[in-house]
Amino acid sequence: MAEVVVAGKDVWKVFGSGDTEVAALRGVNIEIAREEMLAIMGPSGCGKTTFLNCFSGLDEATRGQILLEGRELHSMDDNAKSQYRARRTGFVFQSYNLLPVLSAVENVEMPLLIAGVKGREARERATKILGELGLAERVRHRPSELSGGEQQRVSLARALVGHPAIVWADEPTGNLDEEGSREVTRLLRELNRQYGQTIVVVTHDAAVASTCDRTLRMRDGKFES
Amino acid sequence: MSASDSVIPVLLLILVAVGVLSLVLALRHRLAFRVGMRNVRRSRSRTVLLILGLLVATTIISGSLIVGDTINELGLHYTLLGAGFNDEIVSNVTPIGSLAPFPYAVYSQVLSSASGDHAIAGIAPEIVSTVEVFDRSSGVPQPNLNFIGVNGNQSQQLGSFVTDGGQSLAGPAPGEVLLDDLAASELNASAGDSLQLYGANSTPVTAVVQAVVQDNVRGAFPTGGIGNFGSVFTDLATSQKVENLPGQINVLSVTNAGSQQGGVGLSDSVSANLNATLAKIPAASGLKVQETLKNGLATAQTSGSGISTLFLVLGLFSIVAGAMLIIGIFVLLAEERKGEMGMLRAIGLRRRELVYSYYFEGLAYSAGSALAGSVVGVGVGYGLTYAFSILFPAPGLSSRAILDSFTVLPQTLLIAYVIGFLLTLVTVVVASRRASRLNIVRAIRDIPEPPPAIRVYTYLAYLGLTLTALGTLLFLSTYRGSTDISEPLIGGAMMILGAALVASRFVTNRIAFSAAGAGFVVWAGFEPLHTALLGSYHTGGIFIVFVEGIIMVGGALFLFAFNSSSLVGGLLRLANGRSGRAPVARVALSYPGRRPTRTTITLAIFALVVFTLVAIATFGGTIQANLDHTVAEQSGGFTFFGFSNEPIPDLPGQIAGNASLASQFSVVVPLYFGGANLNVSGFSANPFGDAVFAGPTGLNASSSFYTTNRFPFSTTLGGISAGLAMHELETNGSVAIVDQSYAVATTNLGGGGGTSAPHPSVAVGDSIRVANPVTGNSTTVRVIGILLESTVTGVWLNPATAFGLGFHEEKAFFLTTAAGVSGTHAAQLAKAAFFRSGLVLYNFQAILAQSIAGTEGAIGLLQIFVGLGLAVGIAAMGIVAVRAVVERRREIGMIRANGFTRRMVLRAFFLEYTFVSLLGIGIGTALGLLIVYNLSTSPSAAAAGVSTFSIPWLNLLLILLVAYGLAMAAVAEPSLRAARLPPAEAVRPTE
Repeated sequence: MAEVVVAGKDVWKVFGSGDTEVAALRGVNIEIAREEMLAIMGPSGCGKTTFLNCFSGLDEATRGQILLEGRELHSMDDNAKSQYRARRTGFVFQSYNLLPVLSAVENVEMPLLIAGVKGREARERATKILGELGLAERVRHRPSELSGGEQQRVSLARALVGHPAIVWADEPTGNLDEEGSREVTRLLRELNRQYGQTIVVVTHDAAVASTCDRTLRMRDGKFES
Repeated sequence: MSASDSVIPVLLLILVAVGVLSLVLALRHRLAFRVGMRNVRRSRSRTVLLILGLLVATTIISGSLIVGDTINELGLHYTLLGAGFNDEIVSNVTPIGSLAPFPYAVYSQVLSSASGDHAIAGIAPEIVSTVEVFDRSSGVPQPNLNFIGVNGNQSQQLGSFVTDGGQSLAGPAPGEVLLDDLAASELNASAGDSLQLYGANSTPVTAVVQAVVQDNVRGAFPTGGIGNFGSVFTDLATSQKVENLPGQINVLSVTNAGSQQGGVGLSDSVSANLNATLAKIPAASGLKVQETLKNGLATAQTSGSGISTLFLVLGLFSIVAGAMLIIGIFVLLAEERKGEMGMLRAIGLRRRELVYSYYFEGLAYSAGSALAGSVVGVGVGYGLTYAFSILFPAPGLSSRAILDSFTVLPQTLLIAYVIGFLLTLVTVVVASRRASRLNIVRAIRDIPEPPPAIRVYTYLAYLGLTLTALGTLLFLSTYRGSTDISEPLIGGAMMILGAALVASRFVTNRIAFSAAGAGFVVWAGFEPLHTALLGSYHTGGIFIVFVEGIIMVGGALFLFAFNSSSLVGGLLRLANGRSGRAPVARVALSYPGRRPTRTTITLAIFALVVFTLVAIATFGGTIQANLDHTVAEQSGGFTFFGFSNEPIPDLPGQIAGNASLASQFSVVVPLYFGGANLNVSGFSANPFGDAVFAGPTGLNASSSFYTTNRFPFSTTLGGISAGLAMHELETNGSVAIVDQSYAVATTNLGGGGGTSAPHPSVAVGDSIRVANPVTGNSTTVRVIGILLESTVTGVWLNPATAFGLGFHEEKAFFLTTAAGVSGTHAAQLAKAAFFRSGLVLYNFQAILAQSIAGTEGAIGLLQIFVGLGLAVGIAAMGIVAVRAVVERRREIGMIRANGFTRRMVLRAFFLEYTFVSLLGIGIGTALGLLIVYNLSTSPSAAAAGVSTFSIPWLNLLLILLVAYGLAMAAVAEPSLRAARLPPAEAVRPTE
């Protein structure tokens, strides 16, 4: 098997306590290989987004072990996790989460700046990737001046511009129409092949999952075997 | 009926009309009413926050009016204390200010005629003058004490004297003396001391101190102030002996029937009857009735009203800032509810209903905040009164008395409530109309509004043309007509704004309104432009500071609003050079730079409040810096100015011949001094009384007024030098020089001059007719110079002219102490040596320092009051920051996902609000300094003797630190909350 980039052993995530305690993840075990494009599917509330949050370092698992590129996530403090996210991961969300006061190119170059890349180089790389995603003419537009599909492409560019090891995508096509959805899925696949990044896609959309190398189904906080 | 009483029915009528209209609207638009009320109820914490933000304007109005009421009450207290039960005084005041004696028989005749007048409770015959007193027991002399001779049995209606031990006395026992506390203190005297009283009688009268009495509400006897050393009371017979006035008196003190205040209402009829009675008594010729208490109360009312106006005008900045805050709050509310409003519109709610729902919501906030503001204003008023009591302790004005005068009138609260309510409501209605103008689809989908269509700019161009025309009309009709430049300034500003609106039809908004912004700043802030267009003699009082301030701050805000992207871009380019700071700076600066409306409102609030604070502080600093200059200007280089009751011939010779005095003074200048009747052509109150001075000739160089004085002039005939003007005065009998109080009012900075002086204004070249009322001699002199000083007021004549008119008594003096000599010690020695002549010396430095200390106190008080406006800035900053955390939740989550640490989020928030607050503070500071610089370097200021512009760095630093610190305190909690947002929760689409 190829190098494992993401590994989880008996990962639990429990919200609340006492009578209100809810276990969103119930002893998840998983391994994701480098350059793999993995789809995670399941009904609403099954724990897909919680999985993504805990394994990407956005949230803290209650117990269990998560390894990202061999580093144990639990041992990292908040600053270390932030640094890791800045340098090694990218995110795509259903609602794009672009900064409305920044232009497309400024949004895309933000992760580079956070990672310490110089302004001029960051601008060049952001412009280049936007061009590759067909947004060369829209680099100076603000999110409110872009369509939903265009915004999601900017979001994709932002996730991929720093060549992260892992890209986490949470319902990336959830807000898009069929054509937009196809376009984004195609781009994800292409970029995965082009840059060799590991992409984990949480989705309801079977069409998206069908383009991935592997699909895992989740139910009640666990992956179905 | 006072002005405030007359305005109450109008305000009540408006309040009732608003109430009825709102009721009708609520009944006709019940859905809108329900929506509005639901919005009020749905978040208690937000409603409280909104009311706190909205109450500021009402608080400032309420606080200002309460301070005015308190000053009125204080004035009333001291007027009543000063006048006591003395409603009217009958006397004959001579041109030099002394009281002419008249036969005691006049009292008997007046008393007999008035016996049937039930409005008069009693009349007391008195002798009122000044005496020199030597306490033989303590060995302390004191010239110039007030001297009152009155019999207890004749002055019972004035009340009793009360000793310091609390014992009541009807009056001084025959041959004995009562001293008030101040006089006793000056003489170091106590009961049983033996005093020698030196009056007009060549032989002093010896009397024993019967008791020391309190300064109380007994009669109109001076109780404090510069040059007042206390009062001495004797029976009438003793006083007649002291003043060598057997069978004569010089004052009738009249007490009206009823209470102390109630008797004032009878003053008109009492004085009419007394005047009629006096007219029938030949020996009463020249006697006039003065309505002492009534006039005193009117003066107190005027001063209270003036102070209230000053506070209100300076409070206007905070009120405007408060209005900006209201607009800001509703802009945020509208943004927050955009989707919800769009949905309501989508399901059939008409736009009008939406406006009404906002109206009803705003109505509830306005009513609540005005009520809260009126009450908070009471606290603010008390706080200011407390500060006033600390900053202004003065002789005769105790801190306790100031605090006891704190007054809250129900009508004041009503006025503050109604004005605050209407102001808030109007602002809310305007903001609501703007907020409800939305496109349904764009509102639901949260898409920004597109730029206005070209036809909007066409309408704006028409509006601009109208504004330009009106502004031109206002400018042309006012710029030559008056010295007040506020109206032409407003006219010019309207022209600039109108031109920008027209230009926006043809060029980009950025070009049109940036030019307008620069135009505003130059128009209001470039003093040479005012002088060129409006002439040197322009002013506008305190209101001009408000007008110029609003125009300049408005201009600066235009410049920011239409150039924010460039400004932010420039700053970001700087930040880009610093690796690691670039992303924080990018996030922090992009929000204020690209949301100019919200940022401009916050900037406006900070800029307005800081502008006022900085202007007041710098004004105070400039006055302080001018102290040395002012002392030099007002003193003419002398240390003391002195008067004597009796002429002191050859004072220079006498001092030179006195072993203990000779070494104390380097310059001793005697002056001829007297009271004259003056006539100035065109003055309605001719003749008017004033002092005349002249320096005797034939003295050596160190005693000649003409060669020793260094008085500067504000203007001289033909622009001749001060030295030449003095030489001309010494040698030319047809010329005169006058003090600054004769100058045409020219100043923005106070000082001498003008309309409030009790005599006309003159210009160089004008003529004054001078007559000596004693000798009847008169002559006409031409004014060749106007001095800058206004401490020693009067007309300076040629020595021969003065002598010819009969002014040849040397009763005024300038003295300069020798190097290294204590002024206080030298003055004490001189006063003791010439005690019998009643020599009193005034130290210029001490008088001016006391006056400036009062100004500093006033400035401190104003700073505290205006500083309250910072509450608006803090509220604005806090509300914007709280809203930002909610609004940017997902964006914060995203940047955290991208690698922002908590510290970076915190830094981004603080940097953002630091940028906004420092920019606002910077604009306010720069413009505040500019306006005071303009005031202090204008021709008007030069005429008022202000030559130095000074920045009080420490005070400014304190203001800026407090303003910035409070802003950061306001955003600290929301910023920390933003930094602590868990990224996994923050990135979720729902809040």
